[in-house]
Parts: sequence; C-alpha cells; structure tokens
Amino acid sequence: MPKLKVEDLAKIKEKTRKMTVLREGAGKAKVTVHMGTCGIASGAREIMSALLDEMKKKDSKDVIVTTSGCAGLCSQEPMATVELKGAAPVKYVELTPEKIREVFNKHVLGGEVVKAYALAVGSERMY
Amino acid sequence: MSKRTRWLLEAKGCIDMATAKRAPTKKASKSYRTHVRVCVGTGCVSNGALDIKKALEKEVKKQKLDKKVLVVTTSCHGFCERGPMVHVQPDDIFYQKLKVKDIPHLVQEHFLNGRPVKKFMYKPPKSKEALPKMSDIEFFKHQQLIVLRNRGRIDPEQIDEYIAYDGYTALAKTLTTMKPKDVIEEIKASGLRGRGGAGFPTGMKWELCRNATGDVKYIVCNADEGDPGAFMDRSVLESDPHSVLEGMLIGAYAIGASEGFIYVRHEYPLALECINKAIRQASSYGLLGKNILDSGFSFKMHVVQGGGAFVCGEESALLGSIMGRRPEPVQRPPYPVEKGLWGKPTSINNVETWANVPPIISNGAKWFSSIGTKTSKGTKIFALVGKVKNTGLIEVPMGTTLRQIIFDIGGGIMDDKDFKAVQTGGPSGGCIPKKLLDLPVDYEQLTAAGSMMGSGGMIVMDDATCMVDVAKYFLNFLVEESCGKCMSCREGTQRMLEIVTRITEGQGREGDIELLEELAETVRDTSMCGLGQTAANPVLSTLRYFRKEYDLHIKYKRCPAKVCKSMINFYIVPERCTGCQRCVEACPVGAIVGPRSEPHNLDVTKCIRCRACYEICKFNAIEDVVVDAIRIISGVGVEEESEA
Amino acid sequence: MIQMKLNGLDVQVEEGWTVLETCRFYGIEIPTLCYKEHLSPYGACRLCTVEIGEGDSTKLVSSCTYPVSDGLVVRTHTNRVQRARKMLIELHVALCPTSKVIQDLASRMGVTQVRFEPKYEDCVLCGLCVRMCKEQMDGKAIGFVDRGRNRRITSPFDIKSEECRLCGGCIWICPACQTRCHGPNPESVLCNACLMTETTCLDVYDDMQCWMGGKGECGMCVREDTVVKE
Repeated sequence: MPKLKVEDLAKIKEKTRKMTVLREGAGKAKVTVHMGTCGIASGAREIMSALLDEMKKKDSKDVIVTTSGCAGLCSQEPMATVELKGAAPVKYVELTPEKIREVFNKHVLGGEVVKAYALAVGSERMY
Repeated sequence: MSKRTRWLLEAKGCIDMATAKRAPTKKASKSYRTHVRVCVGTGCVSNGALDIKKALEKEVKKQKLDKKVLVVTTSCHGFCERGPMVHVQPDDIFYQKLKVKDIPHLVQEHFLNGRPVKKFMYKPPKSKEALPKMSDIEFFKHQQLIVLRNRGRIDPEQIDEYIAYDGYTALAKTLTTMKPKDVIEEIKASGLRGRGGAGFPTGMKWELCRNATGDVKYIVCNADEGDPGAFMDRSVLESDPHSVLEGMLIGAYAIGASEGFIYVRHEYPLALECINKAIRQASSYGLLGKNILDSGFSFKMHVVQGGGAFVCGEESALLGSIMGRRPEPVQRPPYPVEKGLWGKPTSINNVETWANVPPIISNGAKWFSSIGTKTSKGTKIFALVGKVKNTGLIEVPMGTTLRQIIFDIGGGIMDDKDFKAVQTGGPSGGCIPKKLLDLPVDYEQLTAAGSMMGSGGMIVMDDATCMVDVAKYFLNFLVEESCGKCMSCREGTQRMLEIVTRITEGQGREGDIELLEELAETVRDTSMCGLGQTAANPVLSTLRYFRKEYDLHIKYKRCPAKVCKSMINFYIVPERCTGCQRCVEACPVGAIVGPRSEPHNLDVTKCIRCRACYEICKFNAIEDVVVDAIRIISGVGVEEESEA
Repeated sequence: MIQMKLNGLDVQVEEGWTVLETCRFYGIEIPTLCYKEHLSPYGACRLCTVEIGEGDSTKLVSSCTYPVSDGLVVRTHTNRVQRARKMLIELHVALCPTSKVIQDLASRMGVTQVRFEPKYEDCVLCGLCVRMCKEQMDGKAIGFVDRGRNRRITSPFDIKSEECRLCGGCIWICPACQTRCHGPNPESVLCNACLMTETTCLDVYDDMQCWMGGKGECGMCVREDTVVKE
C-alpha cells in the first residue's frame, strides 16, 4: 500500500463507505458479529462459523459479513447487528449458533425481524 | 500460554474452527443417524455436563442404540446460563438445563420412540410489542460515545474502515494547519484530564514535557490496566486501536517526540494482536514512520508487553519495565516529563486519554469542555460489573450520578436484591454506600467521598456482600502485587491483611479497628508510590461507611451478610424439608444425614460452609443463619437475635 | 545556591543535595536505617520521612531520596511525622526483633509497644547489601527477586554466584547481622536495654507520685496516649 497523502484519506473514506455502508451502495444486507474478548469468551466464534456456514448452504450473495469489537452490553453477549438496506439496524443479543441461523434465514433472507432474540432497533448515539 | 488462549489465538478464521470440529462427525455421519452434542464448556462442566454425557452413553447403550446414536462433546455454545445443554442433530433440537435423571426418559422418548421431549427444550421469551428502539433502551440511551465512537460499527482489523468514519482526519488537520503550541493550547482549553485515575491535566503535562530541556523526547501509552474488574482499555485497544494511534501521533507532534511506546499488559493477547496489526497497517500507509502525510513529521511506534505485575501500571515502574529494569517505582521529583525513559522527557498517558485527543482536535476544545462538570470535562468510560443486571462497558458524560449509572443504565440490582455499595477505582479506590448514590461522577467528588475515579472500574455490590470480606479481598490483592520496596507498603498491607483476616474468622479483638486506622494512616502517608499511598483506601472507606459491620464482626462475631464462613452455620428447617436427599448428594463432606422422605439433619461440625446444599435445595429448607449473637445482659442492647 | 525553609529556619543549600543531607548538615537528627553515606539512597525503610509543603499540598516524603528545590518547606518533627515513624519502627521491630540497630532506633523514638506478632525474619529488605555489592565493591552478585510477600535478596536464579568475591561487605553493612540484640524481654518483643533514653515511669508506676509535675506535663515521658493527634 502506498504512502498516503492528505487527499488520499477522503478517497479511502468514500471507497470504503461504498463497500461497507449499505445506504451508500454496498450489498443488500450486512451482519456484524461483535467479537471483543467478551464476545469471544461467550462463543462469538461459533456464531460466526454457524453464520458463514448457513450463508454457504443458502448460497447467498450480496450479504456483507463483518466483525467489530465489543458492543458494550457485555452481559448479553454474543451479539450481532443485522442491517437490511433501507431499514434501521437491529441488535440481537444472547445468540447461539442455532439462533443466528434462524436470524439469517428469517431476517436477512426473509426480511422479518426475529423479535424473540432482538434487543432493539437503531444505532447508538455517537457524539 | 493457557489452552484457552492458544485456542483463541490460533483461530485462523472461524471457518477453520468449525470444520476442525466437524471432522469427526463428518466421518462418523455416514453410519450414525443422530448426533447428540453435549456442551462441555467450563460453565456446563461445572453444572454436571460430564455426568450428563456418561448418562447419555449409558442409556443409549442400554437401549441398544449405540450404533445409531453418537454422543459427542462440543465446546461452549455461549448460552452458559442454560447449561448443561445438548444439541441433537440433524433434528436441530436444543435441550437445556438437563439433569442426569432426565436422561433415560429423554433417550427413550426422543431416540427410541421418535418423540422429542418438549419440556426440556429451550423456549425463547416471547414479546408481543413492537421492537424497542436503541434510543429507548436504558442501557444505551444515557450514554454519549466519544472514545467509543466507533463501537460496533467498524472492523478493528481494517484501517480503511477507521478512515471511512473520518479516521486520521484529526491528524491531517494537526499536521497541515496547526503548530505544536496550538495543539497544546487546544488540549489545555478542553480540560482533558488523565483517564488513568489521578486526573492530572493532560495539556499541562504535554506542555511541561515540551518545555523540558532536551531534543529527544518520548511518549508512552499506559495500557497496563491492572484493576480487577476494569476492561476499558482492553476494549478500546481491541475495538478501535487506530484511535489510540492517532491520538499518540497528535500528542507526539505537539510534544516534539519522535518515538512512542505502547505498554500492554501480558494478560491481553487479543489487544496485543490488534494493536500490532493496526501499527503494521498504519505503517504501510505511511501514517507511521518517516515524513507522515508529507508533513516532515516522523514517528516510530513500539509495543512493549508487560510481565504480569500490577505495579507496572505505576508510571515510574512502567518506565523501569520498558528499560529492562526491575519495575519498582522511584522517587519523583524528578517527574517523567523532566526525566523519564533513559533520562529523557517522557509523557505517559492512559489509553483512554490518548483516544480522546482526535475528537477534541476535530471538534474543538469548546465542544469537549461543554460536556461534563466544572472540573471534570468530557466523558468517562466505566466498566459496570458486579451484581447489576446489565454488565458491560458504558461511556457517560462526567457528572452523571451513580444512581443513574447503576439503576437506569445498569438496570438495577440482579435478582432484585438491595443495593449495598459500589466500589470505584479498583484497589486504590473505595466503597460508596447507598446514601451517596446521587453523587455525580467527578474526580474531586469521588475523592472527597473517600474513593476515587481510578481507571473506571465500577463494581456493584448487593446486600449479600460482606464489606469486611471486600476489604480483605482488595488487601490480599495489594499484598500480592506490592513491589515490596517500602516497608510501609509491604509490611503495612500484610499486617492490615492479618488483622482483617482475623476479623473475618471471628478472631477480632478490641483495639483492632484503632490499630487498623493507625496502620492505614502510616501506609498512606509514608509509601513512595500511588499503590502504597492508596493501599489503605479499601479498608478506610469500608470503615468509614460500614463501621457497624466491622463492630458486629468483632464484638458479636456476626456477619450480617452471611459470608464469613466461621460466623455462619447452616440449618435445615424441618417443616420445609421433604427429605428429597438432594442436599445429601450435594454435600462434599457428608455432613447431612437423613433417610428419604424425612427431614434431614446437618452436622455443623463437619460442615465446610461451601453452600452446595443451600444452592441446590428447591424448598428453601436450608437457611444460613448467623451464629448466635453473644448476649450482653446489661447495658448495651443486642442486635436482632439469630434467626433460627 | 538554593533557598529553602527547614523547621521554620531559612537555610541555603547546594543544588543536588537531598533533604536528609541538608538536615544532617544543619544538625537535625533524622532516624535512618537503609541510608548509608556514599551509597545511593534507596528509600526502603521510610524512617527518614519528613513533611513538606504547606496547606493542602502537605505530604510526607522520604528525605533521603527527595532533592532540594527552591522554596521547599520542610518540617522534620511534626506529630504526624512522629506517629508515622513510630508505626514504621514498630513494623521493623516486629519483622526482625533480633537486630540491635532496629531495637536502638525503637528505644530512641520512645516506642513502648509492638502490636504485631513478631516474625523473627533475618532480613528487613533494606537493600544495603545490594547497593554495597553493586556500588562499593563492584560485585553485582546479589539483587532483589520477586515482589510483595515473596520479595527476597539472592543471587541470580538462586545459584551460587561466580561474581561474588567473598568480600563480606554485605554482612558488614547489614543492620540485622551487624550486632544481634541479646536483650531480655521476648514477650513484648521490645528490648530497650541499651538505650534507655525514655523514662517509662508512667507505664509502670502509675500510682506513684512524680515530683516533676502532673502526669505528662514535664515532657520527659512520652506515651502514646499523651501524643496530641492532629
């Protein structure tokens, strides 16, 4: 990767946002599995495996799967955030590999929020 | 390295872990119709998962199903609260909270007769209302994220995602439009104070370092985070390492430093991995190294791993550790800003402090100083843990009250018990009682209450916590972690621990509290470093607010919270005992005897007070009673008599 | 030259001096244990504690390591300092009652009780032997190992050191080895046989008449409960 100049920062920002922020162009759905140490300790890696496996089974395209660090509510880990294009993101808590499969099929593919496992809809207030 | 750590680190990607675990099943799947996967994570094993597995294998064999049904073990599913649990494939049925006695029925019904047993299955809680919004959730709505601004929305291992959310624009602004003096003025005006605990004004520290004599200067990031229960710095390093790098770059430019060190404690392998990766990515973009962003400013970053000592969180010990010496605090003055690493001016700041810098530069000092109280500006991250419903990491504006944090954000006390105290500031801090719940979180106010802000650990305690036991816990921690140089700290904490231990064992004597207070005063006054100077805080703050509890322990040999083992006895209430024998089985020393269907008896001389029987009894037939209060005939009245 | 205040007096000292050196120069007696002239100061025993600063910024520091600076205000014998020193020497005596040096320090300070179980260790971890070996004898054969409760002095990896030239400097300088206290009175742990500088009449002869005035008035006898707490 080449050494950056100040102008490059804005270019990278635009390019990356197109790839990762749904409303700016990327895919049709995005699932973020939260993998801080708290998440990993409560089984986030299994969640991720299950999710990727389910995606492979259903041969789904246009779904972005990514990770992030701790989401804050450590007592209800493992957590994942599902965002469909045009809709607000939904946070799921206390997941298991079985639940994430259900969430993937019902919410990501089917468009229906799985209320039983969800905590809330929307994003946190960043400054 | 522990097995668990190795497992965490070796994961080349989650798919590998999944296929690695699948391998045996794939081979076996050709011949087995059903796989019964028993979770043997730590939580489930301690709940009896291995017995469940044995029972399953036994019953399967008994029913002659051992060629059709394969019983395997798996690692933790994560839903530890529901263990022991079993996952049946390919039916995809999840059984939870299993008991050994349930297994024969389960095997017969599900595997033999093909009827899955509904009553053992997991049922998710149903909710009929519309899904609440994040802005409605108490846990999230009171928070204001500055340091944790990228929480949950970026992949920490992708520098591009950090840049996508305006990452490194503060650095660009600094290098292109600001002079070092301007940066220092901005940080001074913002009122940012050290987030490591002591709260020294950051701008002033940078100015002193800049003005110190010498051309070679260093900056250090203190990621040692030794406080038990604190994990703010770890989370920042794992979730958003670039925010720390950017902050350090801006600080180095302001101070005139050309090299920086991030000191991460040994016990944070994931944080080390994340920060190292972040540095590599930043370097490849030219954001670290020579001539950053074509500005002429060059900076080199190193990561140093700690060796596992709490005392290395102390700045002079930390510097000693980086230089390869024994990590012992040394006398200051001269302070590190004058003579730090290798005798050169060094500015040491906490992870959270560094991470606050980019937003301040981007949005201005005025914005930052508009948040918080008069003397404590900005936000603070707290690790809300203990007996509270919503444990986790929260970032709130300074000035938020403890009540709001514990009851609104935290959701109140677990199991709806009563709040007793909240411990802030780790082993250097103190316990704050119920009557001070409306105290706003602020450096000066917390110190005046006998505690301190510390790094942000907040341990919530309910009425089943013995405050003398809490003091003992923290003293024990300090005895282990003291570097041992100063007689006052080393011997003082050991002697304080001796006295408090005697009190918890029912051997408290008249004069113990006075001696504790005198000892505490000396330890506080004469120790060289912060560890020793604040070592007496756990004892002093619990004495200040919970003196009665100490007196009960000493004078009446009574532990009202029913924690101190030598002062409690267990008693089986005959009217409630059904003779189910559960406690007889659970008792590791055979202290309970009694035939089936008749009230049992507990022999207190054999009892080791492990609470196994108390936990397992379904009929509330076992009570932990406080040992008989010593009755005083005349004069002083006695507290309530022992419940029996 | 640096101007500072020492017990209310304005004094002038050279730059680079420590507060302890200044006090000794001006004839003020400060108890020390782990300090030895010509070895670097360490600050382990904390007995040389003095009070510095004024008002809210008052604090106690070890004078052997604290450098002098312009405008520094030092007070060496306030009640707070004396209480601290007494408690510290109590801790020392409880750790190693067989050291004559420590017993003499206790007598000098008028300590009349040791409220801790004596441990009868042979080492108070003052570090004099380490510094003697490293700085004076250039042997560097011994050092501190481990921390907290397990801190001890030994050669690297507890193996007999090849650097050690058997000079005996460590034994010579050790306050626990120097002279053993052979005094009587093992029950109270305190000795007081050599340096009976304080009359203990108030402790022993409670109902006898003292001809020097009312109890505690003359200032000769110093008892714990007559010390005014600030």
